[in-house]
Amino acid sequence: MRVQYDPKADSASLLDPGSKIWNGRKREVLELMGAPAGLQPSGAIRAAYADQKIGAVTSVSVSALHDGEVIAFRLEWQDPSDDASIGDNDSFPDAAALAFPVHEQAPMILMGAPGMPVNAWYWRADDGEKGRHVTAEGLGTSRLLDESLVKVRGQWKAGRRALVISRSMQVGDVPGAAQFAPGEPSRFGVAIWEGSHGERAGIKAFSGNWKDLTIDALPEKGGN
Amino acid sequence: MAERQLAMVMDLNKCIGCQTCTIACKQLWTRDEGMEYMWWNSVNTQPGRGTPKDWEKMGGGFPNKKPDPGRIPTRAEFGDAWEYNHKEVFYGGKGDKTHLQIQGQKPDWGPNWDEDQGAGEYPNSYYFYLPRICNHCTHPACLEACPRNAIEKNAENGIVTVNEDSCRGYRFCMAACPYKKIYFNQVAKVAQKCIFCFPRIEKGVANACARQCPGRVRFVGYRDDQNAPIYKLVDKWKVAIPLHPEYGTEPNVFYVPPLGPARFDEAGDLDESTPRIPTEYLESLFGPAVHDSLAILKAEMEKAREGGKSELMDLLIAYKWKDMFGGFDRDPASIEWVKAESTEG
Ligand code: SF4
Ligand code: SF4
Repeated sequence: MRVQYDPKADSASLLDPGSKIWNGRKREVLELMGAPAGLQPSGAIRAAYADQKIGAVTSVSVSALHDGEVIAFRLEWQDPSDDASIGDNDSFPDAAALAFPVHEQAPMILMGAPGMPVNAWYWRADDGEKGRHVTAEGLGTSRLLDESLVKVRGQWKAGRRALVISRSMQVGDVPGAAQFAPGEPSRFGVAIWEGSHGERAGIKAFSGNWKDLTIDALPEKGGN
Repeated sequence: MAERQLAMVMDLNKCIGCQTCTIACKQLWTRDEGMEYMWWNSVNTQPGRGTPKDWEKMGGGFPNKKPDPGRIPTRAEFGDAWEYNHKEVFYGGKGDKTHLQIQGQKPDWGPNWDEDQGAGEYPNSYYFYLPRICNHCTHPACLEACPRNAIEKNAENGIVTVNEDSCRGYRFCMAACPYKKIYFNQVAKVAQKCIFCFPRIEKGVANACARQCPGRVRFVGYRDDQNAPIYKLVDKWKVAIPLHPEYGTEPNVFYVPPLGPARFDEAGDLDESTPRIPTEYLESLFGPAVHDSLAILKAEMEKAREGGKSELMDLLIAYKWKDMFGGFDRDPASIEWVKAESTEG
């Protein structure tokens, strides 16, 4: 997928899924699959989902922009119910995340492995616009890096949810965080949790193996 | 498995259902925001439907040695916390015109109210009280269900606690605990449960529910302390047995089953041949070990009645209150307690 460079983008419009800056951008539709029950980290979860479908959301359309500093992904998917809060003990909020390999060999399906971290930019509906910057080395190992670097803004309208998740391409020396640069290739994945189906933790829909990411280079500085 | 295991024995023959234990726990541990509906200690009337309502039908644990996913009890099933117009009645100058009323939606099920239900036909009706806390299981289903390893079993004393820094509120533990003794805090967004009063235990003070119990129902101590009552009741005399052993979590709370009063026959005379509390019912709670337990209790009681000496009866009578606590008999008033920073109230 291509991350387009837009010099006119400012961080406010980038972050707004309804901003016209996103109009007419190429959207890539990613098919999502359910996380396999057999890989879930506990016996009770494996037993609970042995005969139960995982992965209520089956596809997501993604576009991405950068302004040289900030990289933003706009996700949009069909979401019949706006599960924004935890109403009762048995209700769960919608959630979504972008994932990036920090280690060359980090497996997406397992959210990394020991010594092979994955960086995730995570949003959960009950957190409002607070994004979580997370690193993981395997299912169930995610660890919060900070709650300030990842910016999120979403909207839910008539059964569709649009969400922008963004971060500075470079975040200094944060172990477990992915770094990006214009013109440098990268890889990514998407995961979506449908709250009304009780999806949380490893019970999610995800985009399969890592997808390629081409980040537009900055234009050559002209001779002015 | 932990090196040592703390345990509790509750003598159901002595519980008067006063809920002092419940309130002691509430006052000490569950007064923060989001904890309003939590009763880490609950006392139900048997054979009622319990708290949460019909919890024994909610699954979880390891029946047939395999994990059963179970389901999460709702707040209404726990018997949600509801509000009264206290302000208006007590402080609003309207005490003579209005009375206490539930505010908002009327609950239709609550602990120590709707579940307070016995069985049997007069004059042979029966009931008994069943106090429950988390069992700090040897094979804790909650801990094993958590995908984040956020539930920990203390290696030195076997107390099972939720690490709230690791917990992400996924609630697989609530579904997996077959005793339904984990709660979800909607404000803190984490699971919370009985902590076996570990901050007291660490200072040699027995659990609040145990110390406050006016019925001398609760014994506390290490499972393997051969000189203390737990070992004697569980392992030596084999009268204290776990609730629902078939759930497979190996609880560390044990119960002395209730003998119950004798039946009246049709002529109105006492009939000692059949118990008033059906043994099949007790077996459905405590498994087949209940038969031996009841038989031992009866025999020792008989022995004591005839003037003989019974170590078991002496233990259960608990002549010396402090002897019930396996060495954890320090007076909490003798300690200067420091409030933890992260909790209020
Ligand atoms: S009673 Fe439930 S919450 Fe307590 S240790 Fe056992 S499984 Fe866990
Ligand atoms: S305080 Fe003791 S007697 Fe009262 S309900 Fe609790 S266990 Fe029973």
